[in-house]
Amino acid sequence: MNDNTQNVLSMQNVIMQFGGVRAIDNLSLDVNKGEIVALIGPNGAGKTTAFNCITGIYTPTSGMVSFNGKNLKGTSPDEITKLGIARTFQNIRLFSNLTVFDNVLIAKHLRAKDNVFTATLRLNRAEEKRMREETALLLKEQGLYELKDEIASSLPYGLQRHLEIARALATQPELLLLDEPAAGMNPQETQELTDFIVKIRDQYKLSIFMIEHHMDLVMQISERIYVLNFGKLIAQGTPDEIQSNPEVIEAYLGGSEDA
Amino acid sequence: MGPNRMINKEKRRNCICTLILIAAVLGICGFLEANKYSYSYAISIIERSMVYAVVAVSMNLVNGFTGLFSLGQAGFMALGAYVTAIFTIPVGQRPSVYYISGINPAIANVQLPIIVALILGGLVAAGVAALIGFPVLRLKSDYLAIATLGFAEIIRACIAAPQFDTITNGSYGLKSIPGFTNIFQPLALSVVCIGLMILLINSSYGRMFKAVREDEIAAEAMGINLFKTKELSFVISSFFAGISGGMLAMFMRSIDSKTFQVALTYDILLIVVIGGIGSVTGSVIGAFIVTAGRELLRFFDEPLMIGGVQVPLFRPGFRMVIFSILLMVVVLFYRKGLMGTNEFSWNGIFDFFKHPFKKKSKKMEGKA
Repeated sequence: MNDNTQNVLSMQNVIMQFGGVRAIDNLSLDVNKGEIVALIGPNGAGKTTAFNCITGIYTPTSGMVSFNGKNLKGTSPDEITKLGIARTFQNIRLFSNLTVFDNVLIAKHLRAKDNVFTATLRLNRAEEKRMREETALLLKEQGLYELKDEIASSLPYGLQRHLEIARALATQPELLLLDEPAAGMNPQETQELTDFIVKIRDQYKLSIFMIEHHMDLVMQISERIYVLNFGKLIAQGTPDEIQSNPEVIEAYLGGSEDA
Repeated sequence: MGPNRMINKEKRRNCICTLILIAAVLGICGFLEANKYSYSYAISIIERSMVYAVVAVSMNLVNGFTGLFSLGQAGFMALGAYVTAIFTIPVGQRPSVYYISGINPAIANVQLPIIVALILGGLVAAGVAALIGFPVLRLKSDYLAIATLGFAEIIRACIAAPQFDTITNGSYGLKSIPGFTNIFQPLALSVVCIGLMILLINSSYGRMFKAVREDEIAAEAMGINLFKTKELSFVISSFFAGISGGMLAMFMRSIDSKTFQVALTYDILLIVVIGGIGSVTGSVIGAFIVTAGRELLRFFDEPLMIGGVQVPLFRPGFRMVIFSILLMVVVLFYRKGLMGTNEFSWNGIFDFFKHPFKKKSKKMEGKA
C-alpha cells in the first residue's frame, strides 16, 4: 500500500442514538493520509455529533470508529488526542483567561516526561525548557509570537480561531478535525483561511477532516466531500460530483421545484 | 540598551524590596519572640493567621486554580490535626488525656517527631481525599460542594464516634499537644508549604489545573485526563489542609471534633473569597486580615458609655455583626476579592503608587 491511499480515519456503520433521536444513522466514511476531506450538510444534520464520536466525547451506540487501524471504542478523549487526533470547536473553546503562550504551552504537556514531583521541585528543567521552546517555535511559525503575552479572550475573533488551530497543532496531530473554521469570517478572511489550511496540511504533514458551510472554501480545497442530512449520508464524492448531485441540491435548497 | 537597563534597574529594585521585606518579617518575628510575654496576644493572632494562610492557599489550589468547588477542608484538617495530636502527645501524659476510655495499646507508646507527625497527618488526609475523590470528583460545581461538605462532616462524626474512643478520645478531645516553641516554627512551616504550592501552581501541572478550570472539554481535547488532574489537585490540596490541621492542633494545644465543624470551612472560604479566588498572595493577605480583623474588632463587644448613657448595641456578639458588614462591603466593592486573580508584585505596588487612580485603566482599554 503506498502512502497516498493509506487510511487514517475510518467510521463504519456508526449509529449515535440519543433517546428516540438518531443523530447519526449508519454513517461510514474514510479519511486517507494527507487528504483534505469535508463533511457538509444542513444545520442539525449531525456533523458535530460525528466529530464528537471520533474524539471520544460520545461513545457511538453501535458501529466502529478506527484511527490508523486501531479501534477507538472505550478510548477517552485525552487518549485519543495522544494517539494523534486534534480538533477545534464550532464555538471557540480557548482557555480564555490565560495568555496566548500558555494556551499553546498547555497542549505541549501531552508528551512531557515528568511527574508532579519533578515538575513542582523543578528537577526536570530540560523538559520544561523543551516545552517552552517548542511553543515559541510554533507561535513563530504561526505568526502569533508577538501576541504571546496577550490574554486569549482579548484577541479579535479571527485570531482566536487561528490560536485555536495553533493550539491543536501543538499536540502534534496526524489528523486535524476542524469544526466550522470559517464561521463568522468575511470573504477575504475565508480566502486567507483556505490558503492557510492547505499550508498547514503540507507543513505539518496532516490529514484534515473539516465541517464547513462556506462552499467556496469547501469546493476549493477538499479532495472529497461527504454530505450528511438528518444523520444519514446522502452523497459522497469529489467537489464536482457533489455540486451536480440532485439529492445534495435538494437537501440544501429544499428542492421542491424538481420533486 | 535603554529598555534592558530599565528592566535590570527594576529587577534590582525588586530584589532589594524583597530582601527588606524578608528582613522586616524576620525582624518583627524576632522582636515578638524576644518579648513574647508582653506580646502574647499579637503572637497568637499571627500564628493563627499563618495556619489559616496554609489551608486557605490549599483551598485556593482546588477552588481557585482547578475550578472545583470543594468544601471539605475542615474534614481534612481534622484528620491532620488528630494524627498529629495522637502521635505527638508525650507518652507520659497520655494516661491523663485518655483517662475515661483508656488508650488503644497499638498507639499507646508511639511518639513521633513533630515534623514526621505533621507529614503523616498530611498523608492520611491525602489518602482519605484520594478515596473520596473517586465518587465525588465526577460531580460538578454545587453538587461537588455538597458532597465534599457531607464527607467532611462524616469524617468529623467518625472522629467523635464512641467506637474510636481509645484512639481519638471521642467527644472529650485531645489535650497536652506540644505547641510551637517559638514563632519561627509556624513561620517556617507555612513558608515551606505555601512555597511548595506556589511552585506547583507555576509548574506544568499547575497549568493543567488552570486548563481544567477554564474549559474542561478543551482541556480533554488537549490530552489532559480530567479525572486524574482533578484527583491530583484534590489530593495535594488535602495534604496541605492536613498539615495545616496539624499546625492548628499545635497552635491550640487541645482539640476536639467540634473545632472542625463546617464553620471552619466557611472561615477559610471567606479568607479565599476576600483575598481573591485564584490568587495565592490574596489568600495569605486574606488570612491575616480576617484573623486579625476578628480580634481587633473586639472592642465592639464591650459596653460603651457615651455621656453616661450606655450605647445599647455594644454587647458581646456585636463585633460579628460589624465584621459581617465589613465583609459584605469588601465583596460588594471588590467583587473579585482584594487581589482578584493577580499576585502581589513589586512592580504592581510601585505602579499603584505612581498612578493611584489610573490603576490598570490603560491595560483594560487595550483588552476591550
